[in-house]
Amino acid sequence: MSPPPPAVRRALLILGATALAAAWIFAALRLWRTTVPSDLPLPNLDPHEFFTDAQLDRASSYEAFLRVDALLGSLAAVLATGLFAVRGARFVRESAAGRIGTGMLLGMLGLAFVWLAQFPFGLAALWWERKHDVSNLDYVSWIVNDFLSAGGEFLFICLALLIVMALAAVWRRAWWVAAVPALLAVTLLFAFAQPYLLPDLHPLNDPALEAEAQQLAADEGVSGTPVRVQDTHNLGGSPNAEATGLDGSRRVIVWDTLLRRFPPSEVRVVLAHEFGHLAHDHVLKGLAWGGLLAIPIALIVALATRRRGGIYEPTAVPLALFIVVALLFVASPLQNAYSRRLESEADWSALQATHEPAAAKALFRRFTRVARVQPTSPGWATLMLENHPTIMQRIEMADAWRRLHPTTP
Amino acid sequence: MNDEGTETPPPGEGARPGEGTPPPPAPPPPAEAPGAGEQVRIVINDDLERSRLTVGFRLILVIPHLLFLYVWGLLAAVMAVINWFAIVFSGRTVGGDLQTRFLRYFTHVDAYLYLAANPYPPFGGGEDYPIDLIAVEQREQSRLKTFFRAVLAVPALLLGAAFGASGIYGGSGHFRTSFGLLGAAAFLGWFVSVFRARMPRGLRDLSAYALWYSAQAAAYLLLVTERYPNSDPLVPDYGSPPPEHPIRISCDDDLRRSRLTVFFRLLLWLPHLVWLVLWGIVTVFAIVANWFVTLFSGTPADPLHRFISAYLRYETHNFAFIGLVANPFPGFTGREGSYPIDLSIAPPARQNRWKTGFRIILGIPALLLSSALQNAAALVALFGWFTGLFLGHMPQGLRNLGVFALRYSAQLNGYLWLLTDTYPFSGPSQESLAEPTAIPETA
Repeated sequence: MSPPPPAVRRALLILGATALAAAWIFAALRLWRTTVPSDLPLPNLDPHEFFTDAQLDRASSYEAFLRVDALLGSLAAVLATGLFAVRGARFVRESAAGRIGTGMLLGMLGLAFVWLAQFPFGLAALWWERKHDVSNLDYVSWIVNDFLSAGGEFLFICLALLIVMALAAVWRRAWWVAAVPALLAVTLLFAFAQPYLLPDLHPLNDPALEAEAQQLAADEGVSGTPVRVQDTHNLGGSPNAEATGLDGSRRVIVWDTLLRRFPPSEVRVVLAHEFGHLAHDHVLKGLAWGGLLAIPIALIVALATRRRGGIYEPTAVPLALFIVVALLFVASPLQNAYSRRLESEADWSALQATHEPAAAKALFRRFTRVARVQPTSPGWATLMLENHPTIMQRIEMADAWRRLHPTTP
Repeated sequence: MNDEGTETPPPGEGARPGEGTPPPPAPPPPAEAPGAGEQVRIVINDDLERSRLTVGFRLILVIPHLLFLYVWGLLAAVMAVINWFAIVFSGRTVGGDLQTRFLRYFTHVDAYLYLAANPYPPFGGGEDYPIDLIAVEQREQSRLKTFFRAVLAVPALLLGAAFGASGIYGGSGHFRTSFGLLGAAAFLGWFVSVFRARMPRGLRDLSAYALWYSAQAAAYLLLVTERYPNSDPLVPDYGSPPPEHPIRISCDDDLRRSRLTVFFRLLLWLPHLVWLVLWGIVTVFAIVANWFVTLFSGTPADPLHRFISAYLRYETHNFAFIGLVANPFPGFTGREGSYPIDLSIAPPARQNRWKTGFRIILGIPALLLSSALQNAAALVALFGWFTGLFLGHMPQGLRNLGVFALRYSAQLNGYLWLLTDTYPFSGPSQESLAEPTAIPETA
C-alpha cells in the first residue's frame, strides 16, 4: 500500500490538529466550570469599611515589595534557563552517565542555575518578612531548607527526563504524545503518595474541634477524611492549611501555627474550605488542568529541540528546560486564573457547609492583620502572581452568600 | 579449619591466590635524608615477626616510654612557641634538632604501641628502628603561614584524628577523638600477633601510613616544616609489592573538579541514591541466593556473580562521586570502564565452604577497620568539597586516600557478598593509579 499523497497527508494533519484543539478546548471548558453560581451578585464593597487606613497602607507597602520581588525572581529563572540553554551543553563533559543519565545531569544543573538565580530574591523576601514580623525564620534555616527542598525538584526532573528520553528512543519525533499521559500518571502517583511523605503530622488534639471537623466533612460529602496537624512553627510562623491526596489518601493538613493563632470559629471556616477542595476534586482537576497545559508545551518543546536532535539528545535538555520555564511563565496568568476559580469554589463550599459568613469575613480580615495580605491587588499582580481571590473578593462572596440567606446571622 | 587446603587469612592480610605463605620481608631501603620536597619520610624495615610475649604485655611495657614522651612533648611544645616568635620576627627557626628527634622518637613509640614494629624502642629516638622517621627541619619559613599555623593546621589535625593519632603531643598528651585507623589496626593486629607471632602485612602498612601522616601533622604544627601534610598513601615505600586481589581498583581521574557540580553534589547524587536503594534491595536477595549456591556448589553462580559485581561497581562509582574522589556524574548501570574510578572484579572462582558458611562473622574485623577508614573518607569528601569549590581541583593526596578507602570498602563488600573469599587487603598500596594529567582551566 503506497503512502497517501502530500495533500491528503496535510489535510489529515490539519483535521487531526483541529480535532485535538477542539478536544482540548472542550476539556478546558469542562474543567473551568465550578459550583459557584455564575450569576452570583458580588457587592462592590469598600475596603475602608473593613480595614483602617493604617492597615491598608501597611499591607499595601508590604505586598508591593514582595510582588516585585516575586516577579523579578520568576524573570530571573527564565533568564537563568535561557543562559543555560546557550551554555549548558558544555556540561556534558561532567558526565560519564550515558545518554539519559547525562540528560538528567543537565536537567538538574539547569535547576541549579534557577536556584542560584532565585536565591537573592528569596533571601530578600525573607528579609522583608522578618522586617515586618510576618516570619521569624532565621536565615541559615531558610538557606538550608531552600537548598534541601531543591532536592525534590531535582528528583522530579530526573524522573521526568527518564520518561521523556526513554520515550524519545522509541518515538524520536512523536514522543510528546506518549509523554504527557505518562508524566500525568507519575504526577497522579505523587499526588496520591504526598500525604504520606509530609513530616511532623499528628491528629487534632482538641476532641471538640475533631468532632466539628468530621461533621463538616460529612456535610460536604467527604466524610471520614482525616485532619492532620503539621508542626510548622519552626518554619517561619505563618498560618496555612492544605488539602492533599487522592481517593484513599485524602487528608486535610492544618498547620499548628493556624490552630495557635486563630479562634475556633475561623479554624472551622478554614477546615470547611479545605474539605471543599476535596469535595470538588480540586487536586484531580488541578492535575488535569496541568495535563492540558502540558500538551502544547510538550509539542512546542518537541518542535523547538528538533534542530538539536530532539529530546533524545541530552544536549537538547537545556533548551527544553528553558522552553518549559518560559512557557510556564507565559501561561501563569491562565494557571492563576484557574487556581482562583478553584479557591472561590472552595470558599463557596465552606460557606454552604458552615453557614457562617461572619466567621469567614473575620478570617479574611485576620489574614490582612496577621499576614499583611493586601485586600485588593493591582491588575498586573492579579494576572501574574495571585492564585487566590483577593481578600475583598472573598469578603464580597461571604457577603453575597449572606444576602442569599437573609435568615443567617 | 577448611576443606580446601588453604589457610584462612588473618584480618588485614590479603592472601595471594594459591599461596599460603606470608610475603617475604621487605629489603631494607637505604636510610637517606628526605628530598627537598619531602621534609618527613617514613622508612619501613620491619620483618612482620612479632614476639607473642611482648605483644601480650605491650600496653604495660610501653608505659616508661609514654612518660618520657610526655616530658619531651612539653619541651617540644615550648620549643614550638619559641620558634613561632622566632619565625614571625626573623623568618628563621632557632635551636638544634630537639623537634626532629622528638618526632622520630614518638614515631618509634607509637610504632611499638600500635604493633607496627616489634623491638623495644630506644629512649631518645635512636637510629635503625624498624619503623623509622627521617625529618629535616626547614630553617627558613614563611612568616605569614607561621602566624596562622594553628588555624591552618586544623584540617590536618582532623584528618590525623581520623587516623587515630593527630600528632599533637605537645605537653597535653595525645589528641585523639575517635577509635581511628591506628587503634583499629592495633586492636586487630594484637589478636593475630598473639596467635601467629606475626603482624599481617596490610595492617602493618596501614599503621606505618597513619604514623607517617601523624608525624607530618606534628611536624607542621611544631613548626619543623611549613610543608602541608601529604595524605597520599602511595608515597611511603612499603617494600615488596602487595599481594594480588581478585577485586582491584583503578583510577584515571585528572583531579579537575567542576565547581558547579561540586557545589550541588549532594543534590545531584539524589537520583543515584534512589537507584542505589532500589537496586540494593534486589541485590540483597541475589546475595542470599548466591550464598546458598556458593555453599552447596563451592562456586558462585555466574549470573548472580555478574549481577552483584555490577552493583558493587555501581556503588563504588557512586561513592567516588559523592566523596569527591572523582568528578563526572556516574552512569546507572555499573558498567566496567564507564567511570574514572573503576573496579576490576575477577570471574567466579571456587571458594572455601567454611569461609562461605561463616562469611559474616569472618567479615567483622574488616568491618571494624572499614568503619575507621570511612571516617577518613568522610573528611576527604569534606575537604575535597571546599578545595573543589574554591580551587577547581582535588589535591592528589586526598584523592588517593579516597581511592584507598573505596578500594578497601569494595574488597570488603566483595568478600561479604560472596564475590571472592580473599580477605580485603588493609594496606594502602594496592591502588592502580594513572599518572595525573595537567589540570585544565575550569569554569
